[in-house]
Amino acid sequence: MNPFTHPALFYRTDREYLSALVPFAEEGLDAGQPVAMAVPGARLDLVRSGLGTLARHVTLLDMAVEGRNPGRIIARVLRRFADRHRDRHVRIVGEPIWAGRSEVEYPACAQHEALINLAFDGRDVTILCPYDLSTLSPVAVADALVTHPVVWEGTSSYPSSDYDVPGLLSRYNEPLPEPPADAVFEVSGTGDLGEARKFAAERADGVGRERVADVELIVTELATNSLRHSGGSCRVGVWRADGHLVCDVRDGGRLSDPLAGRRPPEPGQLSGRGLLMVNDLADLVRLHSGPTGTTVRALLRLA
Amino acid sequence: MRRSGSVQHARDLGRHDHVCWSYDDTGDFLVRVREYLAEGLALGQRVRYVAVGADVDVLSGVAGIGDALASGAAEIRSLSDTYQSDLAVDPHAQVRAYAKATEEAIADGFTGLRVAAEATPLVRTPAQLASFLRYEHLVDRYMARHPFSALCGYDTTRLDEPAVARLAGVHPCANRPAPFRLHAAAGGAGREVVELGGELDASGHELLGELLERIDPGPGGLVVHAPELTFIDHRGLLLLADSARRRGGDLVLRTRATGAARLVEVLDIPDVRVEPIP
Repeated sequence: MNPFTHPALFYRTDREYLSALVPFAEEGLDAGQPVAMAVPGARLDLVRSGLGTLARHVTLLDMAVEGRNPGRIIARVLRRFADRHRDRHVRIVGEPIWAGRSEVEYPACAQHEALINLAFDGRDVTILCPYDLSTLSPVAVADALVTHPVVWEGTSSYPSSDYDVPGLLSRYNEPLPEPPADAVFEVSGTGDLGEARKFAAERADGVGRERVADVELIVTELATNSLRHSGGSCRVGVWRADGHLVCDVRDGGRLSDPLAGRRPPEPGQLSGRGLLMVNDLADLVRLHSGPTGTTVRALLRLA
Repeated sequence: MRRSGSVQHARDLGRHDHVCWSYDDTGDFLVRVREYLAEGLALGQRVRYVAVGADVDVLSGVAGIGDALASGAAEIRSLSDTYQSDLAVDPHAQVRAYAKATEEAIADGFTGLRVAAEATPLVRTPAQLASFLRYEHLVDRYMARHPFSALCGYDTTRLDEPAVARLAGVHPCANRPAPFRLHAAAGGAGREVVELGGELDASGHELLGELLERIDPGPGGLVVHAPELTFIDHRGLLLLADSARRRGGDLVLRTRATGAARLVEVLDIPDVRVEPIP
């Protein structure tokens, strides 16, 4: 039997929330299991007060900060904690989806939930994902039944008949609209990376001076990946839209590894960290890969 | 203080400077040789011109060249007299030879030695190039610490572009700089100190790997002084860290590039320290 369990927790009130999370932590701590809870901002205070004296034995993280980009939650929140305790069962509460998530962010959140099942398959870990039914959209709730094999609600627990990871991944593998024509720079080889960087930096005003270096890194790492993996050229697009600076890199290759950029690096690993780094640096990463090519789009909030 | 970066002529160079001059017009190169050696004489250095079949006429027009040649302040050497072993340099032997010549120049009352060399015949084959890159690194380290300066000429009509890029990459100064350069810096206790400048991305990874191989192995890690580094990507940083690790120590990267500190923060690599320089 797979020791990994990934229940969705459906709750409507603070009371329901705490009456599930507090015993979850308590039982874990009693059994000598490490417990972490990554929930968004305001919920964190609620959890802390609900846990009372137990709080200091639980690793508490603000998901709105750590998981602002859902693409980094697996590597930087969940595996960072779970990998530290490989000798024991680990309990984690991860709440990556809340009503404040935008329409642009949401598909990446749902993909993240689906990918947890692949990333932790066979691991001795429980990841409990709370869903606030009083504020979330019907789509988000329906998707939770697709990304979680089991649901906890009140005192009951039932399997989800909608559970379908491949189905969700393919549904949200949406083509991303083409960049504006005047925002595109063609990269045909590594000799063009310097110019691509300059192109990006010139369009990066608005993200704040200290983040221009992030934009240069993001564009360079994405274009380098494209050149390496697609074996051909790529197109870099940089423009502003909806309160973000968009860095969009497209190539003719196909990304076959759904967990690319979501695994923590192995010690001594000299490459393959490009996409992980982009997940770290960006506020959101959207991805589309199909028979005609791959697009990776990193978004940085405008300051 | 050594010059580093791009140069447009061979004037205003100091006693430790090391310049790569690639050219497709011999006449232009010889203009650079004359201005470089004339300045050396004015600075009280012993100057030397080295080329295959070096011709004294090349230096005509340099102020006071007749007297300088007569007194030993200026010398002409044919390439085959200067570099031994059938035009492939023995890196250590060649550095020793220039160290000896520098010491003799000092003993003879000069302020140092300044050499302009047309070195193309020494880098024609991959094997020659490999040992010459090693030599350039070793001699650069000598120059950083002793009053020896050189202008190295490479004829681009007889060398391919990757070879020229490699040669430019090991000199602190070049008229056509490579995207990045890695050369010697004044030493620190127990650790190799190198200076890295320019931009380091995938266009330079292979070359960086090669150049790091030319650096003496260990012990004690690597200090990379990089005041003029403007960009480094994650693989570039990991290559430096790996080189430091193989030398049995950690990597210190001194830089103004803000991206480098971000990289270390997000990559979570042990044994790498970024020291911001003002």
